[in-house]
Amino acid sequence: MAAGGPAVVETRGLSKRYRNVRALSDVTITVPEGRVSALIGPNGAGKTTLLRLLSALARPTGGEIAVLGMVPRSDPAFLRGVGFLAQEIPLYRRFSAEDHISIGAHLNARWDAASVRRRLEHLGIPPGQAVGTLSGGQRAQLALALTLAKRPRLLLLDEPVAALDPLARRQFLAHLAEAAADGDLTVVLSSHLVADLERTCDHLILLNAARVQLCGDIESVLAEHQVLVGPRKDTTAIERDHTLVQAVRTARQTTLLIRGNKPVTDPAFEASDVGLEELVLGYMGQHGGQAPAHLTAIGDDR
Amino acid sequence: MTWVVWRQHRSQVLVAAAALALFAVLLLVTGRQMASQYQSALASCSASHSCAGLANTLILGSPVLSLLVTLTVVVPCLLGVFWGGPLIAREFENGTSQFAWTQGVSRGRWLTAKIGWVLLAAVAWGGAVSALVTWWSTPVNALKQQNFQPGQFDIQGIVPVGYALFAVALGIAAGALFRRTLLAMAVTIGVFTFLRLVVGQDLRSHYLPALTRTFSFLHPPVLPAGSYWLVAGAVVGPGGQVAGGAAHSGPSISFGGVPIPVGSMPSACRELIFQSPLKFGSCLAARGYRAQISYQPASRYWAFQGIETGIFVALAAVLIAATVIVVTRRDA
Repeated sequence: MAAGGPAVVETRGLSKRYRNVRALSDVTITVPEGRVSALIGPNGAGKTTLLRLLSALARPTGGEIAVLGMVPRSDPAFLRGVGFLAQEIPLYRRFSAEDHISIGAHLNARWDAASVRRRLEHLGIPPGQAVGTLSGGQRAQLALALTLAKRPRLLLLDEPVAALDPLARRQFLAHLAEAAADGDLTVVLSSHLVADLERTCDHLILLNAARVQLCGDIESVLAEHQVLVGPRKDTTAIERDHTLVQAVRTARQTTLLIRGNKPVTDPAFEASDVGLEELVLGYMGQHGGQAPAHLTAIGDDR
Repeated sequence: MTWVVWRQHRSQVLVAAAALALFAVLLLVTGRQMASQYQSALASCSASHSCAGLANTLILGSPVLSLLVTLTVVVPCLLGVFWGGPLIAREFENGTSQFAWTQGVSRGRWLTAKIGWVLLAAVAWGGAVSALVTWWSTPVNALKQQNFQPGQFDIQGIVPVGYALFAVALGIAAGALFRRTLLAMAVTIGVFTFLRLVVGQDLRSHYLPALTRTFSFLHPPVLPAGSYWLVAGAVVGPGGQVAGGAAHSGPSISFGGVPIPVGSMPSACRELIFQSPLKFGSCLAARGYRAQISYQPASRYWAFQGIETGIFVALAAVLIAATVIVVTRRDA
């Protein structure tokens, strides 16, 4: 896996339980400095829980966690380095953008009000209007600008584009990419839409049913996997050398997603590179989030 | 943080300030009128040596105004419902707690500022309303001497400040626990009303042991001086037992605030009621009956105000401590 700078996020065996529900289980991840990490997983996989643990809004029930070298906690020394934007984009609906800028100025030691105003002007968002009357896209942009005004070293965004139309989504991600480009900002961005993240992110955390399936540099993760297409036949030889992530068998054809760099010797199968979306869907297609070798058959006609 | 609290609640503060100003003007104007009315009535009755019956003949202030003043008993509850209940619950409900708690200020400081200012406001408003009512009631208190009685006791002096602190703390705690504004408001109304009734009806009369005084029916009763609180009154029979019992219902006549249960009196005396109350009295006295009251003397008024305020302030402190624990320990 590609090495980066020092780890900004590091967890070991992290778990979180809500009464009888296990939201996260044995999560071990590392996000190096300067990365834009895509936190991908189906709804209910634990993405929000993970981001809330990283931002000190919630406390883990087990395991270890270090963010910017600190255990997340609600004190200024920790909070100043971390920006968090929750999924529902919580802002005070009756307050204007300008009110929010003032609130931020009073609650943060470091606060770049000018950057928010520049951004509002650039996007044509009225600064004096109640936030509740702005469009969803405008609210999201304002919230992102406010989160960035803290000048955080780690930016945590929970499904920020889920509710936006395609144009607003593109603008938001462009804004984010711009912010990530100038400086040592590290970003963890959750979504269940892979296409949005492919252009923006260079790091991947794949979460499924409370467990981490993959964590690492996107390029190297993709290079570790291959897709094999061949006739319908026995695949135990291939499974001996590789980890089978997903197998799709139809009457005449077998498609395998495998992990491992060893070349496939079986001439009946044709190997090809895997795309991010294909990879994510392959892992998500597994049932119950078991170990990666768990097999799924689709369209089986035995 | 102070600025943030002010920005968030300034419209509420302005509305409350306007309402208080209106109330103040109303009471200041009518209070002065009542005071001068009382003074001139006192002057004219002293001249004619007829002040004994003044309490029964002089009517101070309008009934509407008296009702308004009596209704200030709900002010602490209103503060608890509209200031305390939403304070934290609304932040949870709208998700803005996630915004507030990921800025550069710890949850503890955020809480301290919000709770501190709203409690201070509760003291200010509760205290101002009570001070106005107490001042306004001065001539009424002098005339009727009823400010130790339940009802008047609850809207004068320092107890309204204790109630206001408790109600607001209750609203805050319910909001922090349930995270729903409406539920917090409803719980505040229910718990506050229940506790006020229990304390007022069952607890207050026991803060200090009541004094007792016994009257013979042969003479007019010599009642305690000043604004004493008549806790209970009964007719005691020759053996020292209470005649008629506490649950007596049926016709009764009053003697110095003590109801005489006519049906439980000896039949020989009962026949005399219609002839002359005096003969009825001497008949009862001859058979060993006497009236007895238990009361809290006027001199204990401020001690009782202090004790009751202390109880509610202590309850408020417990609720605030619980709120801080719940908010800082639980996940956002």
